[in-house]
Amino acid sequence: MKLSSRMKKAILVLAILIIAIYLIFRFFIEPPQPQVSVPPSVQLLESRLVGRKDGVRQWEILAQSVLQAGNSVTLTSLDEITMFQDQEPYLFIDADTAVWDRKLDILHLHESQVRDGEDGFYLESDLLIWDGAEETLTSPGPVFILWEGLEIQAAEMVMEAQSSLLYLKDDVRIRDGSMLWRLEQAVYDLEQKLMDFYGRVVLEGEDGDDE
Amino acid sequence: MNRRFVGLMIVMALFLGGTSVAWGQGQPGTLEITGVPTDVVAGRYDREAGVFFADVRAIAGALIKVKREDVQIVGKTMEWRTDDDYLIFTVDAKLTQDDFELTGDVVEYFGEEKKLKSQGNVVVTTDDATVYADHLDYEEETDQALFTGNVKVVFSDGVLEGERFLMLLEKSELQFFGSFQGEFSDKNSNEN
Repeated sequence: MKLSSRMKKAILVLAILIIAIYLIFRFFIEPPQPQVSVPPSVQLLESRLVGRKDGVRQWEILAQSVLQAGNSVTLTSLDEITMFQDQEPYLFIDADTAVWDRKLDILHLHESQVRDGEDGFYLESDLLIWDGAEETLTSPGPVFILWEGLEIQAAEMVMEAQSSLLYLKDDVRIRDGSMLWRLEQAVYDLEQKLMDFYGRVVLEGEDGDDE
Repeated sequence: MNRRFVGLMIVMALFLGGTSVAWGQGQPGTLEITGVPTDVVAGRYDREAGVFFADVRAIAGALIKVKREDVQIVGKTMEWRTDDDYLIFTVDAKLTQDDFELTGDVVEYFGEEKKLKSQGNVVVTTDDATVYADHLDYEEETDQALFTGNVKVVFSDGVLEGERFLMLLEKSELQFFGSFQGEFSDKNSNEN
């Protein structure tokens, strides 16, 4: 068969194109990495997890399900979380789920309610973050606290375990009997029972609310 | 009674009869501290002792204000004891109600005893007169207001000066103790 010169040119161009495409794919486009074998995460059932700092117990969690993947430990179906201070339990927490970053020693508690054993302390927040290194309990969102007859609300909260200081930030409301304090920020020394009010302060007395 | 004293008596009676400024007995009222930056402490509440203390002297433009109905007290420092409903204002303390104004170095309100005291450069201003004294003591039970120490009552047309001046508000009586000196201008002398 005799090919016309136009056909010959077309076949030549096509051949060059095929070779070029092959070379591009061969040398310039990274071939996909071969599948790496990932060790399976560890799932434990009905576990007691203990967080320690310098060997001292900081918290203890009873959970029905513990899923570990890398540094992250996810706990679900929690029974109870106990926070320790000086080896003694001082706070008990009910939460839906807890996620613990082992490396950073940070514990995220979702839908949590905190109470203490003796003094009637109660705290409610959608998210609480326990920082083991700093020994702080933070609520980055709205928090509601009951403490010795006080009703406390704030947009944010940080509690320092070592100093027993409670930092309340933004739109702080503290109801004490018939009195309602509205504050920008407050720092409450839980041991000394002293409250420092920052910024604008408003106290409203309510009529006929007394016993 | 002299007409100029009647006006003063009425204003004093209206004011002092309604100076219950605290919240302790279920009375509505507000306390407000304004002009304090967010990172500066405006006041401290000692819950165990039941004491609230505020000091804004060092903060330019800041003010402590207590309001109850139409009575208002302002100052730069304040202490409030919630247990016995005691309130003390110092530094630029001023108490106002309508056309009545009381200023003094110190203004104190004793809620349980229902007493009002002021001392140091006491000035009571009404539409009818201005009273200067070192001290003012008012008791709600007896409805008496006692001005003592360098008392001076200034009217638009004259001045009275003495050491002790008692206003019996319920009886609409005025009592001057010790020597009192007065000077009034001629144009209103027919009122005396």
